[in-house]
Amino acid sequence: MTTPVAPPPPGAPVAGSTIAARAVNAAKIYGSGDAAVRALDGVSVDFETARFTAIMGPSGSGKSTLMHVIAGLDDLSSGEVFIGDINLATLNEKQLTTLRRDRIGFVFQAFNLVPTLTAIENINLPTALAGRKPDQEWVDRVVATVGLGDRLTHRPSELSGGQQQRVAVARALASRPSIIFADEPTGNVDSTTGAEILQFMRHAVDQLGQTIVMVTHDPVAAGYADRIVFLADGNVVGEMLEPTAERVLDQMKSIGN
Amino acid sequence: MLKATLSNLRAHKWRLLLTGLAVMLGVAFMSGSFVLGDTIRSTFDDLFEDANAGTDAVVRSSEVVSAAFAGDQRGQLDASVLDDVLAVDGVEDAVGAVVGFAQYVDDEGEPVGDPGQGAPTFGFNWTDNTDLNPYILVDDGVSRGPSAPDEVVVDKSTADAQDFAVGEQVTILTQQGSVVQMVVGLATFGVEDASLGASAAFFATETAQTLVGTPGKFETVSVVGDDDLDQRELAARIAVALPADTEVLTGAEFIEQSQDQVGQALQFISIFFLVFVAISLFVGTFVIYNSFSIIIAQRTRETALLRAIGASQGQVIWSVLLEAVLLGIVAGAVGLVAGIGVAIGLQALLSAFGLDIPASGLSIKPRTVVWSIIVGVVVTSVSAVIPAWRASRIPPLAAIRNVAQDSSGRSVVRAAIGAAVLTLGIVAILGGLFGDDDTVNPLILVGIGVLVTYIALFVLGPLIARPVSRFIGAPLPALRGVAGTLARENASRNPKRTAATAAALMVGVSLVAFITIFASSTKASIEEAVDEAFQGDFLIDSGAFGFGGLSPVLATELNALDEVEAAAGIRFGVAELDGSETFLFGGDAAGLNEILDVGPTDGSLDLAVDEIAVRRDLAEDRGYQIGQAIPVRFVDSDTNALTIAAIYTDDANFLGNYFLGLEAYEANYLENFDTQVIIDIDNDVDVDQARAAVELVADQYPNGTVLDQIDIKEQQAGQIDPILNIIFALLGLAILIALLGITNTLALSIFERSRELGLLRAVGMTRRQLRSTIRWESVITALLGTALGIVVGLFFGWVLVRALDSQGLTVFRIPWTALIVITVLSAIIGVLAAIGPARRASKLVILDAIAM
Repeated sequence: MTTPVAPPPPGAPVAGSTIAARAVNAAKIYGSGDAAVRALDGVSVDFETARFTAIMGPSGSGKSTLMHVIAGLDDLSSGEVFIGDINLATLNEKQLTTLRRDRIGFVFQAFNLVPTLTAIENINLPTALAGRKPDQEWVDRVVATVGLGDRLTHRPSELSGGQQQRVAVARALASRPSIIFADEPTGNVDSTTGAEILQFMRHAVDQLGQTIVMVTHDPVAAGYADRIVFLADGNVVGEMLEPTAERVLDQMKSIGN
Repeated sequence: MLKATLSNLRAHKWRLLLTGLAVMLGVAFMSGSFVLGDTIRSTFDDLFEDANAGTDAVVRSSEVVSAAFAGDQRGQLDASVLDDVLAVDGVEDAVGAVVGFAQYVDDEGEPVGDPGQGAPTFGFNWTDNTDLNPYILVDDGVSRGPSAPDEVVVDKSTADAQDFAVGEQVTILTQQGSVVQMVVGLATFGVEDASLGASAAFFATETAQTLVGTPGKFETVSVVGDDDLDQRELAARIAVALPADTEVLTGAEFIEQSQDQVGQALQFISIFFLVFVAISLFVGTFVIYNSFSIIIAQRTRETALLRAIGASQGQVIWSVLLEAVLLGIVAGAVGLVAGIGVAIGLQALLSAFGLDIPASGLSIKPRTVVWSIIVGVVVTSVSAVIPAWRASRIPPLAAIRNVAQDSSGRSVVRAAIGAAVLTLGIVAILGGLFGDDDTVNPLILVGIGVLVTYIALFVLGPLIARPVSRFIGAPLPALRGVAGTLARENASRNPKRTAATAAALMVGVSLVAFITIFASSTKASIEEAVDEAFQGDFLIDSGAFGFGGLSPVLATELNALDEVEAAAGIRFGVAELDGSETFLFGGDAAGLNEILDVGPTDGSLDLAVDEIAVRRDLAEDRGYQIGQAIPVRFVDSDTNALTIAAIYTDDANFLGNYFLGLEAYEANYLENFDTQVIIDIDNDVDVDQARAAVELVADQYPNGTVLDQIDIKEQQAGQIDPILNIIFALLGLAILIALLGITNTLALSIFERSRELGLLRAVGMTRRQLRSTIRWESVITALLGTALGIVVGLFFGWVLVRALDSQGLTVFRIPWTALIVITVLSAIIGVLAAIGPARRASKLVILDAIAM
């Protein structure tokens, strides 16, 4: 087993802290007056570096909203969110975009890839957007990790669903972001492929020192995480360390009531 | 089904509105042309009514020749006819009218107005009979009619514009050279002074006959009858008293004829505009077809659902066509209203050419309204037929899962059909241009051939769209990074759609390129002709053909100069020669042959008064021989035959098809103007000195311009430019519609690609990069259309030049600079077309896009 390597982030170094991202009293309200919906109701949570954290909760719990606001895809009604030491509220639109490009990686449930680009072009997309040359050694290593060596020149339409998700994971890793957000990454694939993907993500955290935050409703997927944060009705209602699928199921039953 | 259709329309009205804009523009142009044409026609109709309101009968010569583009040439009446008419019982008063050319000269010595290209400059005799004279003296206390030979009445418009006042002297160019007259009065045409920009100079009757008409002759005799006498009865009585070769019309008949003549001329302009309307609408069909195709594709799921729950294929087709029809009605109606605005705009355009049309009362006829709606509906429906058919072929299964759709367009069938149709089109064009005229009207054959060729290229487009757009976009990845790669990939991912979008621009660009190439070749041919055939040193050009020109005195005065070896004038006239009403030139043929080079000549160019010379091409066509007599008819003489004494080659076409000697011309035409004077200077004299001497003389004739060989080439070439500019302006509409087509396609495909665009923004593409991607995609599409368009334009240009080789179009010249400019402009069009869609795309809310 190789020693874990902390990936040097392409931006400024995370000054001495082990918190990759955090939310402080984050609130997100849709609508107004009687019709107001508090998707996030003052959530405070930290995400540690080089850890695999899962966010779980029933529909409407605010788990996706939480991920969106920390990733800079949505704005807050009140409270603050940080990527490293950077308060996202201080960034303008262009800076936010650059942050997403250089410091954050994304894996979505589906439609992760640009259909007109080949797999390798998709993997190098954030780097290319930044106008930089990819770090070939690192990219090769990532590609080897997800096992895509022979499919690199294919377009998404020529890949299976599972292969597409692996490309998405590779892309998220290739730009060496400070943090990777995955939104239901196994939701659209069969269980075998899903297990593969989760294993890659686990490997990325253990061997490559990556930080991953995954939103999921699947207890099996959550079982791969180091820590689970439970949300309900826009609030943090619980936490579990070193989770297993069975314990997660029990916890969810109690939240659901 | 109807409900579904209507709710579809309402839900996606913006998509359809942009689509309908393409048709709306074409309809607007059409209705604008109609309204303008009708307004002009009714203005002229009113003009003639006013001018002849008091006239009960008109007597004129019955000898007339009408040649295309030269108008009617009619004989003159003897002054004795006036006495005959006055003697008829029932005639209250009659006046002889003198009409001719008279052009004012302004304070700086420049001629006022341009009768060659704008409104005419008239010289008349004055009558105080207010029933018969449409011009009214201004009530300023000093204006009166002219009585002495050196007096003149000026039309008020000209007087105001040029600052002529009663009591001042004014210079006027006439057939007898320039004269200086004293202004004794100002007059307006009717109470409103609506003379449409034509200038008028009034002289005492005898003076008028000498200066602008013919002594002892009148153009017409206008008659006022007794109040209680019916016009027809009056005319009948007059007819009995008339000599041979004269006729009488009632006032009403005369007004109607004048109105009809103008109507015919206007119809020609109308048809000219309508050709461009047709082009715009043709381009519009491409845009509508493409838009509907995309919209249908985006509604695949909905349509499949309807089919799954039981709608028949026929119902689907009707549903789409209904949408098209409704869109067409709206587009037609809006186009009609917009067209009225266009009419006002076109009015301003004509005003710039000196044809002022009063804005009061635009004439909107029912046919304008009807045609607007019909055209809107037909164009939209026809374009939507194939997409409608395609919609009906969507399998119900497509509601459940993605049924693969071929967007590449690669099929052997397509290639075969496309090649076959293209061959048909080219054969039709070549047949029309090079075949003989007898079986089918060549113009129609060529027109059909062009249409078919465009359709063939539309069919073949998808086959070449991918390789060509990849080629055009090749430098982009290097220049613009990922944005460039994406742009290039996007442009080639759906060749059918890209080709259809580019097709509209292809049509527009091909026509622009064709005109440019044709004009360039024409100019090159003229230059070659002048180089080869023009041996003279100077040319004095009046720019007039058939109405006015240079007084023949000019040539005489030039010949008297020491510096001038020989000066010869060329005259222009209309006659019926060997059965066809056509035009001829006249002058000192032998003298001209020294200065021009009319090529190998049979017979002698020393033409006697009963002889004529003809061009070799025509002679071979008709089998003319030296010594043969051909029947002729002139309005101003009784000559009925002329003998062919010479056959000249004249490759450069300086002398036209028929040429009369000076004596013959003077014997058969009352009006004698030189259209041009060609000058050969004495070889021992310094050129600049000679030019100065010539210009000194020519200054007395301000409507002539002195040109040397370089000037001639420039001037001839320069005459083409105004026409070119008008054509470009008119084609501009077609280009605009094509631009709209690109914008529309982009907007629709961005809507389709929202998720993908959201993803790109999520992983870090800035708004700027996104706009750049879309912009370059648009530029590639535009350049694709341009590349095809230029190739097509080159082909059309080459073919037409070859066909007109015998008419003097001997050189095929490609204007490389112009073509490069066209290419650059197209790229700019691509950029412009992308502005709206790009902005829209960059405003995408990421979360909404990826959650779709």
